[in-house]
Amino acid sequence: MTVRSLPAPGWLTGLGRRLSGGASSRWFPYLLVLPLVLVLWGYVVQPMFATFAESVSADGTENYLQFLNSSGVARQSLLTSLFISAGSVLLCGTVGVSMAFLLKRFTFRGRRLLEAFILVPAALPPLIGAVSFQLLYSNIGILPRGLQALFGTDKPVLAFDGIAGVLVVHTFTMYPFFYLAAAAALAGMDPSVEEAAYNLGAGRVRVWRTVMLPMLTPALVSASLLVFMTSLASYTAPLLFNVSQTMTMQIYINRTNGDLPMASAYASVLGIVSIIFLLSMRWYEGRRSYQSQSKGISATRREINNPIGRWLAPLASVLATIVLLAPVATIALVAFSENRSWTTQVLPTTYTLDNFVTIFSDPKAFQPILNSVQMSLIAVVGCVGIGVLIAYAVRRLRFVGRGLLDVAVMIAWALPGTVVAINLISAFSTGNAFSLGQVLVGTFWILPLAYFVRFLPIVFRSSSAALALIDPSLEEAARNLGASWARAFGSVTLRLMLPGVLAGGLLAFVHGVGEFVASVLIYTSSTVPISVAINNRMYSFELGTAAAYGMLQVLLIFVVMWFSGRLESSRTATRKAVQWTN
Amino acid sequence: MRRPWVMAIALGAMLAATAGCGSSDDSDTGSSANPSAEKFVIYSARDKAVTDYVVEQFTSKNPEYKGKVEVLNMGAQEVLERVRAEKANPQASVWWGGTQQGLATAATENLLEAWQPSFAGKMDARYKDAQGRWHGEILLPEVIMYNNKALSPEEAPKDWDDLVDPKWKDKIIIRDVAASGTMRSIYSSMIQRLSADGSNPQPGYDWLRKLDTNTVEYAANPADLYLKMSREQGVLSAWNLQDVLLQADKKMPFGYVMPASGAPVLVDGVAAVKGGNTAAAQKFLEFLFDDSLRATLAKDYFQIPAVEISEKPEWLANLGLKPMDVDWDVIGKNETAWINHWNAEIKDKG
Repeated sequence: MTVRSLPAPGWLTGLGRRLSGGASSRWFPYLLVLPLVLVLWGYVVQPMFATFAESVSADGTENYLQFLNSSGVARQSLLTSLFISAGSVLLCGTVGVSMAFLLKRFTFRGRRLLEAFILVPAALPPLIGAVSFQLLYSNIGILPRGLQALFGTDKPVLAFDGIAGVLVVHTFTMYPFFYLAAAAALAGMDPSVEEAAYNLGAGRVRVWRTVMLPMLTPALVSASLLVFMTSLASYTAPLLFNVSQTMTMQIYINRTNGDLPMASAYASVLGIVSIIFLLSMRWYEGRRSYQSQSKGISATRREINNPIGRWLAPLASVLATIVLLAPVATIALVAFSENRSWTTQVLPTTYTLDNFVTIFSDPKAFQPILNSVQMSLIAVVGCVGIGVLIAYAVRRLRFVGRGLLDVAVMIAWALPGTVVAINLISAFSTGNAFSLGQVLVGTFWILPLAYFVRFLPIVFRSSSAALALIDPSLEEAARNLGASWARAFGSVTLRLMLPGVLAGGLLAFVHGVGEFVASVLIYTSSTVPISVAINNRMYSFELGTAAAYGMLQVLLIFVVMWFSGRLESSRTATRKAVQWTN
Repeated sequence: MRRPWVMAIALGAMLAATAGCGSSDDSDTGSSANPSAEKFVIYSARDKAVTDYVVEQFTSKNPEYKGKVEVLNMGAQEVLERVRAEKANPQASVWWGGTQQGLATAATENLLEAWQPSFAGKMDARYKDAQGRWHGEILLPEVIMYNNKALSPEEAPKDWDDLVDPKWKDKIIIRDVAASGTMRSIYSSMIQRLSADGSNPQPGYDWLRKLDTNTVEYAANPADLYLKMSREQGVLSAWNLQDVLLQADKKMPFGYVMPASGAPVLVDGVAAVKGGNTAAAQKFLEFLFDDSLRATLAKDYFQIPAVEISEKPEWLANLGLKPMDVDWDVIGKNETAWINHWNAEIKDKG
C-alpha cells in the first residue's frame, strides 16, 4: 500500500519540473509539503480551533474563568488530573527504573522468565486493561475478596478505590515507558565510567548521584513527560474507579449534561496543557547534554552473591511474573464464566464456552471485530502514506516552516483521545472543505479519521527514526545516476525505510484495535468497534461476553505484536545492509 | 528485504478483504427486494433483554425489516446527547426510552418529529406531548433497591429519609447521576418534594449531601451498579422498579421497597427522531403499542404501560404502587441546574 501512495508525489514532481526545473528546484519542497500541511491543518489544527470557538460561543470567557475559581469543580478537576499524573510519574518511575536495573545489571535465576513478560502490560488496550484491574484490585476485586476470605475480616483487604485505584492502573500500564527508556540508557552506558568512580574512592550513593543519575536523566525526563501526558489523557481508569473530578471525566459529564460549551472549554484547557508538556519535552530533548564518549563496550551483569538474595530472586521473579500476567488471566477467567453467575464469591463459579460461541456464531456479535480491523487498517494506510512523507520532508528537505510541520504532527500525539473526538465533532458536525462539504458526524468515516489523527504520530516517529539511519548519499547517488526523485525515493529510500515504517504501521494498527476513548464518543450503530462492544456488553451486564471480546482483542494485539517483533529482526538485517553499502 | 514487501501486500489484501465485507453488506441493503423497508436505528435506554425481544417480534411480524433494525442501548441522557450532537446528520430514527424531561427538552430543541399515532387517543394527556412529539410508553416508579441476601425485608429502609440515616454509612451504591435519566429524576424529585415550586433547592441539596455521605461509591453504569450491589460493596440503592424486577428475575439478589412516602413515578416515553427514517419509526412505534405486546411486556418484562391494558399481570395487581406527588414541570425547568450543582458541589463532598 505504500507503493500505491507513490503516484501522488510522482505527479507532483512532474508538475514541479514543468514549473521550475525539476525536483532540485527550491520550490519542490513546498510542492511536496503543501498537501501534507493541508491534511494536518484540516484534520488536526483546524478542529482544535473549532472546539475553542465552540467553548466561547455561548458566554465568552465565562467558562474559562471557572478554572480560576478556587472552590469550583473546574479547577479541582484540573488539579486532580495534574496530581494523578504526577503521582503516576513517581510510581511508574520507581517501578520502571528498578525493573530496568534489576534486569539489565544483575543476573539471577528467573530473570529470563521475568524479562519475557515485562512488557505485557503495555499491550493491554485501555478499556479492557482498566476493567481487568477493577476486577482484580478494586473493592469488588478478586485479590481483596480473596484476602478477606483468607483472613476472615469483614471488609475486603487491600482494596484500591478512587484515586489509589487509578494510580495502580497507571503504574501497571505505563511503567514500560520508564523501563524501556532506562533499559536503553543502561545498555548504552559505558561501565568503565562507573568503575572509574568506584576506583577513585566514591561510595555507592555518591556514584549514583554524580555518575548514574546524570547519565540516566535524559531518558528519565522524556519517560516522565510521556507518562505525565498519557496519565493526563487517561479516561477509562477514572471512569471505572469513579474519580469524576478529572479533566477527561468532566468533558464527558458536561457533554451528557448538555453543556457543550463547557465540555469544549475543558477539552481546550486539557489540549493546551498537553501541548505545553509536549513542547517542554521537545525542548528538553534538544538540549540533553550527558553522553558517554566511548563506544562499543557493553555493560556487564553482576551475579547476586548474597545467599538470601539468591533464594529470594527466583521467588520474586515468579511472583512478579504472576502479577504481570494477572490482568490477562483475569480477563480469560471471566471470559469463560457464565454471565451474571458471579456475585459474592471470590472467583466465578460456573464456567461455559457460550460467550465465545455467541461472538463467533452471531454475525452481529462478530461485526465489531471486523469493524475494528477494517477501520484500523484504513487509518493505518492513511497514516503510512502521510506519515512517511512528513517524516521525509522534516528529515530531508529544507524549507521555511519545517519545525512547525514537525510540531503539528506531534500535537496530534499530545492531544488526549477525548479531545481528538471532541475536536472532530466540533469541526465536522457541519460540512466543511476538508470533509468535501459532507457532515462526518454519524458516518462511517469519522472513526477511521479519528484513528488516523491519533496514530499518525506513531508512524511518523518510527519512519523518522528509520530515516535517520539511512545515509542521504544513497538517494543522491540514485539521483546522480539519472533516476527521477520519485524513482529514487521509491526504490532506494522507501525500501530502506520500509521495516521501520511497517513496525510503526503495525503499532498504529494495534492502537487502533484497542482504541476506546475517542471511539465511544463518535461511533455509530454500524461502526461499533471492539472496545465499544465491550463497553456496551458491560452496560447490559453481560460481563462474560464483554471479557470474551476483551480476550479476542488482547489475542489480536499479541499476534500483531509478535509479528512486529519478527519484523524487528529483519530491521537489524537492513541496518547491516546499510552499513555494508556505506 | 523480501519479507516486508510480502507483508505490505498481505496487509493490503487483508484491507481489501475486510473492505469487501463492508461493501457487500452495503449492497445487501441496497439490492433488497422491498425498497420501502430501509434500515433504521433505535437508540434505547431500555434493558437489552426488552429491546432484543421486541425487535425480534417486530421483524417476525414485518419480515421486510429482518436484519434492518439496529439497536444501540445506552443511558437515557446519553440518547439525548447523541441525538443533539447528530442534529445535522441524524442517525437514529427511534428514541425508545427517555424521561419526560429529556424528551420535552429534545422537543423544544426541535429534534423530534410531531405525529399523531393511533394509540394517542387512548392515552392520558399527562403522559404525552400536546403536539405529539413524544408519547409515554411506560410508567417507571423509582424505588429503594436492596440486596436481599444481605438484608431481610424487615431490615431494609422503609422510606427515602431512612436512606440518610447514619447507620447506612458506606452501604449505598448510586448509579452515577449525570448520565442516568432514572437517577436524575430521583434526585430532582428529592429536591422538589422539599420545595414545591423549586425556588429553594437548598433543603434538597442538604438531604442529598447526607445521602452522599452514606454513598460508598458511584457506579459508572447500570451493570457496574448491579455488580457492586451483588458483590455487596454496598447493599442499598435507589433505582427504577422495572430494572430491579428484571435483574431479580435473572437470579440477581435484589429486592425493592415501595417507599412509605411514595415513589416518584416517571413517565418514560418514545419518540420519532426528526430527519430519521420516519416511516419505519412510526411503524415500529405503532407496533410497540400493540395490545398483546403491551400485555407480554407487562407480564414478562415488568413494564407498567402508560395506556391501560385489559388484563393486569399478577405482580402489577399486587404492586401497591404509591405515587409520590411530584411536579414534573418544575423538575423539567430546573433539572439541569440542580444536577449540575449536585455534580459540582455535592458529589463526593458529604
